[in-house]
Amino acid sequence: MSSSVQQQPLGRPDTQQAGGQISLVDLLDRLLGTGVVLAGDVVISLAGVDLVQVRLHALISTVREEMTQR
Amino acid sequence: MTEQRRLLPQRLETDAESVERDLFKLVLTIIELVRQLMEKQALRRVDEGDLTDEQVEGLGNGLMHLEQAMDELKARYDLTTADLNIDLGPLGTLLSD
Amino acid sequence: MAEQATGHGGRLVGRGRYLYAVSRGLPSDALADVPGLGDGRLEVLEHQGLSAVVSDVDLEEYGEEGLRRNLERLDWLEEVARRHDEVVHAVAEHGPVAPLRLATICLDDVGVRRRVEQWHDALEQVLDRVEGRGEWSVKAFAARAEPQPAASDAAGEGGAAYLRRKKAETLTRAEGEEQALKVAEEVHARLSAVSVASRRLPPQDPRLTGHVGTMTLNGAYLVDTARADEFADAVRAAQADHPEAGIDAAGPWPPYSFAMLEQP
Repeated sequence: MSSSVQQQPLGRPDTQQAGGQISLVDLLDRLLGTGVVLAGDVVISLAGVDLVQVRLHALISTVREEMTQR
Repeated sequence: MTEQRRLLPQRLETDAESVERDLFKLVLTIIELVRQLMEKQALRRVDEGDLTDEQVEGLGNGLMHLEQAMDELKARYDLTTADLNIDLGPLGTLLSD
Repeated sequence: MAEQATGHGGRLVGRGRYLYAVSRGLPSDALADVPGLGDGRLEVLEHQGLSAVVSDVDLEEYGEEGLRRNLERLDWLEEVARRHDEVVHAVAEHGPVAPLRLATICLDDVGVRRRVEQWHDALEQVLDRVEGRGEWSVKAFAARAEPQPAASDAAGEGGAAYLRRKKAETLTRAEGEEQALKVAEEVHARLSAVSVASRRLPPQDPRLTGHVGTMTLNGAYLVDTARADEFADAVRAAQADHPEAGIDAAGPWPPYSFAMLEQP
């Protein structure tokens, strides 16, 4: 794992590396204010057609609920 | 407005060639999730101390076999635990490596 | 986020003003060769001593309905965030900048001025706070856990032994996590000492960052430009003390984490 300290001049990023200065995740976290979240679901798509959505979130919630209801 | 921004759910793009493997990976992920939760729960019950020695032995054996079965399944499709890891958002990454 | 038009049956039409950032004393031609969203022309609205940077956008795309669709699209988010960031950077070249949240829309310039008035004192404070300063982002991670050889009391056949091994693994992992969190706390404290202000942001989803392993520190630091080298030295010292933590720093950036108002 490489560690680094990147120093970039404050100001307009070089157009060639436009989009390279702040990572998209960091940028979206700040511009959106509440962070970026990926939903815990999976959409299964075949040949470019969305078919099925697996709601893992709900599945796991249920299992946990049953577990804590001892 | 402070509602969380959610991106679309992950998309499992598959095609006729890889659909079997992709679906299998999804199924294995769910099984692995359940297996790990069962293990966590078993450890909690053992800690609570209300199980007999036979029950502890039985639980442990069952989970051990389950782990072996998972390892075989993963190997068959050339998948590591990392391949299966999913983040459940607020529930956290339940598959700890 | 968008001020809503009354009438129109709830459907927004026409153009609105996208508000990128607020600064002070920004020359009106400062952004002449910087494109806004949709390659629109950037304008600087002066009001009560503050300079609001705006451009025209289509409400079909940026009104409440449009945003509801588009905010869930990573490709749209990326394009808009990048352009918004470019504008913020351009403004930062001329003075202190208070960026606005993505997709802060007003119906017209009257609306923009009303917003500026509403936030006037807070904006002045924020601009004072970030003048001559930049934001640094420093992240740290939990070291990858090494597989442990079984402790002697956990060796052996059978179910009970299996569970004891698993228990031992859990404890080792918990210790590792605790240790990683302590390192993160310590690094944050050291870097905060060289900063005007600091914040811990929520850790980021590994699927988004592509980084394997848990993020233990997502720190944002407001650092005097004059002390930037001192800050960089502090980061390097932390990296040397904790090579396993994968400490990663980037900056200086415009002060996003310190200059954005909580917008209702």
